[in-house]
Amino acid sequence: MTVQEAVPGGRVTRVVVRELERALGRERVLSTPEELIAYEFDGTIERGMPQAVVFPESTEQVAAAVRIAHRFDVPVIPRGAGTGLSGGAVATIGGVIVALTRMKRILAVDPVNLTAVVEPGVVNLDLSNHVAPLGLFYAPDPSSQRACTIGGNVAENAGGPHCLAYGATTQHILGLELVLADGEVVNVGGAMRDVPGYDLAGLFVGSEGTLAIATKITVRLMRLPESTRTLLAIFDTVDDASNAVSSIIAAGMVPSALEMMDRNIIAAIEPVIHAGFPLDAEAVLLIEVDGLDESTQEQAGVIDAICRKHAAREVRIAVEKPDRDRLWAGRKTSISALGRLYPNYYVLDGVVPRTKLVEVLRQTYAIAAKYDLDVANVFHAGDGNLHPNLLFDERVPGATERVLQAGAAIMRLCVDAGGSITGEHGVGLEKRDFIAWIYDEPDLDAMRRVKAAFGTGANYNPCKAFPTHKGCGEIHSGRLPRTPAADGAEMYV
Amino acid sequence: MSSLAPSSLAAFAAQACEITGAENVITSDLDTYAVDDVTPGVAVRPLDEAQVAATLLAAATHSLAVIPLGGREHIGCCNVPARYDVALLTERMSRVVAHEPADMTITVDAGARLTDVQSMLAEHGQHLPLDPIGDRATVGGIIAASAFGPLRHAHGTVRDWLIGIRVAHPDGSVSKAGGRVVKNVTGYEMTKLYAGSFGTLAVVTEATFKLAPVPPLSSTIALACDSPHEGARVALAARDAGLSVRRCELLSPAAARRVVGSARWHLLCEIAGVSAAVGRSLRELRSLVGGSGEERPQEVWTHWRHAFTPAYFSLRLHLMPSRVSDAIERLATELDENPTSISSTVVAGVVRLNMLGENAPTERIVVAARSLAAAAGGHAVVEAAPSDLKQHIDVLGEARGDLPIMRRLKEQLDPTNVLSPGRFLGRL
Repeated sequence: MTVQEAVPGGRVTRVVVRELERALGRERVLSTPEELIAYEFDGTIERGMPQAVVFPESTEQVAAAVRIAHRFDVPVIPRGAGTGLSGGAVATIGGVIVALTRMKRILAVDPVNLTAVVEPGVVNLDLSNHVAPLGLFYAPDPSSQRACTIGGNVAENAGGPHCLAYGATTQHILGLELVLADGEVVNVGGAMRDVPGYDLAGLFVGSEGTLAIATKITVRLMRLPESTRTLLAIFDTVDDASNAVSSIIAAGMVPSALEMMDRNIIAAIEPVIHAGFPLDAEAVLLIEVDGLDESTQEQAGVIDAICRKHAAREVRIAVEKPDRDRLWAGRKTSISALGRLYPNYYVLDGVVPRTKLVEVLRQTYAIAAKYDLDVANVFHAGDGNLHPNLLFDERVPGATERVLQAGAAIMRLCVDAGGSITGEHGVGLEKRDFIAWIYDEPDLDAMRRVKAAFGTGANYNPCKAFPTHKGCGEIHSGRLPRTPAADGAEMYV
Repeated sequence: MSSLAPSSLAAFAAQACEITGAENVITSDLDTYAVDDVTPGVAVRPLDEAQVAATLLAAATHSLAVIPLGGREHIGCCNVPARYDVALLTERMSRVVAHEPADMTITVDAGARLTDVQSMLAEHGQHLPLDPIGDRATVGGIIAASAFGPLRHAHGTVRDWLIGIRVAHPDGSVSKAGGRVVKNVTGYEMTKLYAGSFGTLAVVTEATFKLAPVPPLSSTIALACDSPHEGARVALAARDAGLSVRRCELLSPAAARRVVGSARWHLLCEIAGVSAAVGRSLRELRSLVGGSGEERPQEVWTHWRHAFTPAYFSLRLHLMPSRVSDAIERLATELDENPTSISSTVVAGVVRLNMLGENAPTERIVVAARSLAAAAGGHAVVEAAPSDLKQHIDVLGEARGDLPIMRRLKEQLDPTNVLSPGRFLGRL
């Protein structure tokens, strides 16, 4: 079994731009170099210059833009808020970015059947805030939830601290309206989980913009829990904290979140947030349980005891919302606080079996030391999803290369421990070179066949997610010098 | 009767003997493996994934149609096969490949029986929170049929627990997707595609699941209700109150008579969790019906399984939860003269209907159920029916605008139409 396709052969000429302007209106198309620069990046260090960015405001406009791209055989790169951490929204070989940020209406909320229908540009937290007066929330909570969009979350199958108990985005998506590569509009899934036939909605979530563009999304909502308790456990060694994590899971506890932060993260956030994290602690665990009050009280007691058994220096339990929020503030701002330590950081996203945490964390520190880098760890310990942040200054010659080498070594470490190269950020551009560590040719071939079945051809987000196209191989994770942007009939890639 | 010339079958059987050993190629008494009254020409019992793949390739080479069979508990929930030559039995593939209690994951062969897996896990206080009907149900069959039981209330379906899969393709290759870690977004979510694909795209050979702890305490009560509306209202109210409900089935009087021994509408609820939460949930549930629900032994769930084992005619409706009680009432009226067991997992919008009597006007019921379901934004699946009825309905529901994508998926993954031809939605 082998299916392979070439990268799109067409170019985004002035003619293409004019067609897009005619179809969508000039005010919904950007094509000058100054305008395009803002769309050269996402949340990664990848870059790639599109030749046009369009801002459709309806399904019909998305379909119109896609049909034009299809006709001229140029890449289509769907984009939400651009907060992605794997390069998924970067126009690595140029093309037309379809920015969905203006499609941000919440179309329907059904508080009895616990569903909502949203457009892809709705910001994750806005949905939860919108339904909070009804006692509801949308469970997936990536750390970027104040900015990232539901459409982007669907593309990446985004996670977040609370997916330990509630599952990642895939468990919260019921139905989708999709625009296929030829502009055809198809509905998959529905207002409930069971629909006749293959689970196309399940297949679509996490496809990283390579199969279709979602223009309407039916999500599952959840009831806000009656009670939440947040524990902060402070440890003198990372090993003790990791062992406590394993014991909590092994004891049959099902916390809604179980996060770890190490000394370097604490050093970055405490002076800013004043959450009361001791600067001399080597690790803290942030653990949350929710449900009936009786249940959270009992579980918090069990978890408290486990942490103390693993030599926790101190365990604090917050019940009231302001106290809980203060503990979470440290976690939620932790990555941006890293800017206090170094001008640049590179966040990794590996997964290991939970029992391998101690060993893998030790080796992560060793790898960072070997490459003469500082590393700060803040991650979803409960499901073994590591986020080592490699800290560096890109102005130092060779620093970026050392970071990429150390990053690759840490990814390899995760794979060798029986894990995966991404738990929630996606493969994107960043990890295409690592996917062969996980999947063999027949595994990738089955996925290529799925892509072929969607009729995607070469257009949708080429060179992302898994090595599909001939002609993508020489693009090294997109860290190309900037390419000149569209002007006149010149070609740009 | 097999659909093919004996010569291809004989050639295939000879090849199968080389692959699996002659003792694992069955050529007589094949009625046991009939599907919808179609009997295969040969049955093969491969030992492992390599033998499955080789068997599929051999079948494809001879243009034979293969249906993979596990415990055959849910085999009826598909269209009548267009062709059926080879029964591929997974019964010898029953190893537990890996169980990491502290990681709460398990990897098992497709032919492993869920009941065996659960007994092994119980020693570690863990389980796979799925309770589909059928003691012989295998892991591979449960994935293929996306089979579920009352635990659907709190724990979803197999797709929510399946984290890794290995499958064999009809060209003799094998592939995997996912892995053994509980969180993983590498590549497409092929596990979602295979779950519920009824053996039409590939043959599942191995699966990895995440596991759940067995709750420390559990208690079941049967709450008598005046009507399906009251039962559904209580089920939704308990959900909204966040009570520790693990299973919650609304039973029709005919079903309740068999399950709890009282011919009234009932809500059968299992409450599970830590002790104080269980106590409070029981109290609040009782107060929701303004009465005293009687506590029942756990065995009542076994009675439920027996009552809802697909029978002469079984139907499953999927509806918006808010529409469940209206639909049940109308179905009950429609079926008045044919007492039918109805059970509904209200919060999941699932309504099961089981009919034992062989004189039921089944086709009329399918039509009525389909129109009821469609009006409520849902659909109806026939889980079991006489094959003459199945000839002229699509048991999996009515195809929609996404059927062309499904057809192309089938063409891409099974280009020579070897796997369970004609059985899927739209007779794919």
